[in-house]
Formats: sequence, C-alpha cells, structure tokens
Amino acid sequence: MCRILAYLGEPLPVQHLLYDTDNSLVRQSYRPRMMNTFLNLAGFGMKAWDPASLRPDDPFSYRATTLPSFDRNLRFLAAKVAPTCLVAHVRGVTYSDEAVVAETNLHPFHFPGARVVLAHNGHLREFRRMRYALVEHVRPELAQRIEGTTDSEWIYALVLSQLDDPFGLPETGELADAVAAALRILRTLRVERGIATSSPVNLCVSSGRNLVATRFSFDYGWYPPEDEMLETDLPYVSLWYAVGGEYGEAGDGWTMTGDDPPRSVIIASEPLTVDHSGWLEVPEYSMLTAELTAAGLEFETRDLDV
Amino acid sequence: MSELAAGFLGTVALFAGRDEGGLAEVAAMLRRRTIARGEVVWNQGDDARELLIVVDGALSASLQVPGDRVVEIGTAGPGDTVGEIGLLDGGPHTMSVRAVDATTVLALGRVELAALLAPQDAAAFGLRRRLAALLTARHRNQLARLSDSLGGEPSGPSAGDADRAFAELERCGPPDSRYVRRMATFHDLDSLALWGFLTSGSYARCQRGRTLVAEGAPSTACYLTINGAVEQVLARGGRRIRVGLAGPGKAFGYESLVDGGPSPVTAVTRERALLLVLPHDRFTQLFHGEDAVSRVFLDVIQRELVATLRQTLRPHARLAASL
Repeated sequence: MCRILAYLGEPLPVQHLLYDTDNSLVRQSYRPRMMNTFLNLAGFGMKAWDPASLRPDDPFSYRATTLPSFDRNLRFLAAKVAPTCLVAHVRGVTYSDEAVVAETNLHPFHFPGARVVLAHNGHLREFRRMRYALVEHVRPELAQRIEGTTDSEWIYALVLSQLDDPFGLPETGELADAVAAALRILRTLRVERGIATSSPVNLCVSSGRNLVATRFSFDYGWYPPEDEMLETDLPYVSLWYAVGGEYGEAGDGWTMTGDDPPRSVIIASEPLTVDHSGWLEVPEYSMLTAELTAAGLEFETRDLDV
Repeated sequence: MSELAAGFLGTVALFAGRDEGGLAEVAAMLRRRTIARGEVVWNQGDDARELLIVVDGALSASLQVPGDRVVEIGTAGPGDTVGEIGLLDGGPHTMSVRAVDATTVLALGRVELAALLAPQDAAAFGLRRRLAALLTARHRNQLARLSDSLGGEPSGPSAGDADRAFAELERCGPPDSRYVRRMATFHDLDSLALWGFLTSGSYARCQRGRTLVAEGAPSTACYLTINGAVEQVLARGGRRIRVGLAGPGKAFGYESLVDGGPSPVTAVTRERALLLVLPHDRFTQLFHGEDAVSRVFLDVIQRELVATLRQTLRPHARLAASL
C-alpha cells in the first residue's frame, strides 16, 4: 500500500521528512509499521514549493522508480531544499505481473501548466469497469494529458475538472469542493455499475499555498471473493497529522512544537516517528484543509459524507 | 507475603469470586513493590511487561498529546489495577503512570497473567468475565470524560430508533467462512470453536444510516460486523464526535450486556452492513458459558474491548489538542 506525505508551514528541510526521523517516509517504503502487507518499492515522487526559489509558484519536481533509500540524488536534493509546502509519495504495488512500474505512474500527478498536484494512497477496485465512463466528466484538455495507467491519475484529472479554471490557483474552499465533487462523481459511477467493494481514497491535494487531504473509503468493509488485497484493506487505510509551530529535533526525538495559532502541519500515512504521542489520527471519512495566511495556518477537519 | 496478598486479593474486583486456593495461586505469582511519591512507573509507549494492583496509595494515568501537553485521564486507588491493556494485546502502554503518593503495588507479569487465563476451568472463565467487566467500566469512564469535555445533554437518536432498526434487520445466511477466517480478529482462535461461535447467532443485513444502539438505553443485542462499518458516536447538543468505527471483525453494542448498564454510545451504520446478531439471551449464554465456544466469544469481546480502549484515546487526544 502506498504512502503519502504532505507538509505546509515554516520552511523545513526535506530531509527531515524523508530521511531523518525513525519512521520517515523513506523508511516506510521498506519497513512500514502500518498496512504492512507488502513493501512500497515501485518508486518515489515529490513536489516542493520554495518561495525563495526562481518561479516560486512552480514546485521542485522529482520522481524516480529507483528505491529512495538508495537514491543519492534525492538525498542531496533533500538536504538542500527547505520548502514551505511539499507533497511526496512512495508507491506500492502488489507483487503481480499486472503491475506497471513506470515513471508515468508516479505520484504526485502534475499536468503541465496546472497549479494543483495530487497524490493518492489507496485504489479503486474494479476501476477498469468505470475508467471510460469517467471521460465525460473530465475536461478534454485534461484527459489528453493522462499518460499513465493508474486510477489515481484519473482521480487527479477529475479533481482538476471540477475547478473553475483547472490551470488556475484555487482558493482552499474551491479546492476542497472540487475534491468532494470528484468523489461524488466516482460514487455515482460506481453505483451505476454496481461496484460496491471497498476502495480507499486517501488524497493529498495542494497548490503550494493550501492543502486538502482526505481519509476516505467507498464501501468500506466490503470485498470481492478471493481478494488479494483483503488483509491490506480490512483496517481503514491510515492517515495521521501533526499540527503546531515547527517540526524539529528536540531532546531525544522529533516533534512538532506547540503554537497557537499553528504555523505548520504534516499529514502522513503513518506518523514519522515510532512514538505516536505527538501525532493525531485523522478520523475516518474526513477531510482536512490547511492554508497559510499572514496570521498563521488555518486548519480544519470535517466529516466527509459523499 | 503470599498469605497477606491472598487476603488482600479477596477484596480486588479482578479476582472476586476466586476461592482460597485460587487466591493463593495468584498471590504466589505477585511481586510486591513500593513506589515513591512522584515516581514515574512507566511512560506512554513503553513496552508493557506487567499489570499493577494498587494496595495502598494512588497512581495517576496521563495521556501525552501533541504540543507537549499532558491530560490526566484517571487515578487508581487501593484494589484498582493499571497496565492490563498492553499486557493483553502485546502493544505498548497507552498512558504514562505516576505515583501520586507513596504507593504499594502488587505486580503481575505477562506470563503469569497468560497462565491464569489459559486453563479451560471455572477460575479462568471467571477471570475472563471479570476482565471484560473491568475493561467495560474503564471504557465507560473514558467515554464519560469525553462527554464532559463536550458538555451539554445527550442529543442522539432514541431507544425507539434502535428498536425499529432491530425489527427491520433483513435476515440472511452466513458469510463465506474463507473470508471470515482471514480477519485478524479471528486469527489464533480454535477453528472448530470459532465456527461454533460464528453459528451461534443469526446474520442480518442493515442499510446505511440506521441506529442499532442508542446511548442511554440498554442494547437489544450484541453485534459483530462482518461487512461494512458502524460508527460509534457521542452527541451532545450540536456536537457529535466519533469514538470508534466497527469495521469487519469488530463488535459493538455489548457494553450494556456485560454490566447491565445503559449503552454508553450510539451506534449507527456508516456503510450498509452484514452483521452477526447475538440477542440478549444468546449473549448471556455465551458470556456465562464455560466451553470452547464461550472461550472464543470471551476472547473476541476481550480483544474488542482492548482495541476500543486504545481507539477511544484518539478522540481524547484530538479534543485535548484542540482546547
């Protein structure tokens, strides 16, 4: 099962999120502590926004199908970049000859010219039965940008298609509404086709200035017979967050300092530390929104009923 | 020490009803320890190696929450126990424990507790039932604290809603046994006895959004989710928080059947659900039985309670962090 990570807040070296902690994102690729029915060995991707960089609205982009733990380029980059926003993903696929491990399937997805990126932890069961029905809900200029074979890239195109301007910079509320609308369309198409099996859709969606995340599943608790993903999906796919002042090393561990109003938030499939006490579990069926403002970080959790 | 401990153990709820020989057996397993006032007994997240029975003095349990804040969850006085959750599920301690005063405790190790629970005799069944009652009481305390934090009067569905949902359950056949066996809840359980348990109730389908248990009213039945999901919520005034989600393999609605009190939470189907339904009388037979099927049932309830107690700390932490 994939792993997602998102950060919004004070400038923070990427290496703190990817490498430094005792359950960092890269460690989760080869030693997951939750949802650990298979490893996440199908590649890594990230988008990172640094206001001090050239063209600050364009994120640093990195993706490679190599294992991030052995990727020296990524380590060097992670030590140099200190973004205010980051979305990163390690991809896990089943050990099957049907899995396509390719750069075009790596998250976060980011179409040329778009300001919004998306990473997904989960999968839409029976996606083949609904893939082409999605075409009528995706704007043609976005559909033609789909390069890979994943359900996630279609979800991305569907979310962008719900924005007034898919290539513009959406307000947080509009982005949250677009995500909810995309999930509603997926729900409708599933119902029309009689698809009623568990399909987790944990998303991290960002424009670099705001962040929308979901912990959600369609038809949680229902599985097809002889399902190879059953043990992975019996528990609700996890998502955690830490919100506060800034994330750093203090005493004998890494922690988010307390601050009110908060200035930073990390959202991750698993806490980045073995000690969970500084982390909160995102409630199931929820949406988180976060936005950087002059007064600090505006952060909200709400029930997601689509 | 053993005679002294045996005398004291007769007053401890966890060992109530055990005969003299049984108390002496437990006493021989215990180690007496004195803890200085203010001393930290263990920290949240530490490996759980023993449970403690307070002889005199007091221990306080606290939860560390984000922002370097600590929330006091409760205190344990003479006759109370702490530390059993990690001992039962093999996980780390859920809370930090500190001595409020100079405190004397009796410590029971993991291996010794397992040895007391292992036999298929009246004493072991009695201990399992008392553990269930103890954990249910603890769950009620946690929920009461959460309710206090929310403030206001209960505002959820009524007992009538739950009765209607129960009457409208659509009876159906059992699920595929190969699916059920893959659920983590049932791993390590005796196959034949598990099948006996799974066929001891009836199966029913329930639509999404139905109230099966109403807070404040006794539960009509104990339910085990086979497919789908049922959320357990506390509603106070305009506020509503989810304290648990019973997905596949998780039980709900059993608290009032364990101790005779009102249901501490409302349970509503979040997804359409396939449920194993154990009506009150069937629950009582299984809970008080002393055969292999009852043992599986008590194991399931115990696992559920331990998992629920861990899960209920999460809204505690969220609420504390938001204050």
